[in-house]
Amino acid sequence: MKVEILEETDNSMRFILSEAHPSLANALRRIMVSEVPTLAIEDVTIIENTSSLYDEIIAHRLGLIPIRTDLDIMNLREECVCKGEGCPNCTLKLTLNSTGKDRIITVYSHDLKSEDERLKPIEGIPIIKLGKEQKLVLEAEAILGKGKDHAKWQPAVVGYKYYPAIEVNGECEDCKKCADVCPVNILESEDGKIKVIDEMKCTLCKSCVEACEKKIIKVRGDDKKFIFTLESTGALKPREILNKACEILEEKARELATLL
Amino acid sequence: MIIPIRCFSCGAVIADKYEKFKKRIRDEEPKKVLDDLGIKRYCCRRMILSQADFLEEVIEFEVKGP
Repeated sequence: MKVEILEETDNSMRFILSEAHPSLANALRRIMVSEVPTLAIEDVTIIENTSSLYDEIIAHRLGLIPIRTDLDIMNLREECVCKGEGCPNCTLKLTLNSTGKDRIITVYSHDLKSEDERLKPIEGIPIIKLGKEQKLVLEAEAILGKGKDHAKWQPAVVGYKYYPAIEVNGECEDCKKCADVCPVNILESEDGKIKVIDEMKCTLCKSCVEACEKKIIKVRGDDKKFIFTLESTGALKPREILNKACEILEEKARELATLL
Repeated sequence: MIIPIRCFSCGAVIADKYEKFKKRIRDEEPKKVLDDLGIKRYCCRRMILSQADFLEEVIEFEVKGP
């Protein structure tokens, strides 16, 4: 298994996974989506709510806010030293206290005060709007969890496609029909022959295969090479998600080996 | 009511981009703004495009306590 990073930003990443197998690629994708733990609000104590939304709606919205997570300082509750009772090693407390002014105000995720400076909700998400004299006071507890239990703990949106392998073999009449029909325009005629400009853009739609009268174009996906797209919610950096997913996969393989 | 925090289908966070989108479509093409904000999939794009804000109107009808 080899990873080559194509592009990387603060919350997204594209990479090529090569020398792999479809089952490995899918295992990696599934682990990144549903097994990498992140922080999310699980319990909310509403102290005062005179807003226009029900307590449940507010609690649900709070749960979906991603919280910047450091996996080195937080434990999963069931694996924590407190044995699931809840302690500062596995629970993050947050508070919110907002009152509407003369005009309508918007309460944002960064108005949630976290007890730990390192673990803060990502900024700029509107939670609710408060009118004149409307009040919202609450306490929340965030814990680590996994995407398979609830989508709020899902750290990223991950997808992959097979690496495109396009072959042009045989006598080409240079009719340019394949180039015209390609939706991503990656085929071009050069010296009376069809050439592939950027094969990575290919969507494997096979329109060119159908359009070619001589049937000399072959398009297939390379099942040993995959192009991954990873888009983080902001709770973890893309690289952290990939590293943690590999660690979890390794751990699972080891566990399987002891059971066999 | 108010913009949902995540996309219903894929789970990507979209709420933080909605206000920027609303501000910018006043004098820009919605397609371009969505592309600029990095909202690529059509599941996320429909979350933004089909949003109807009426929480502010509901606030007007608040019933004061007993």
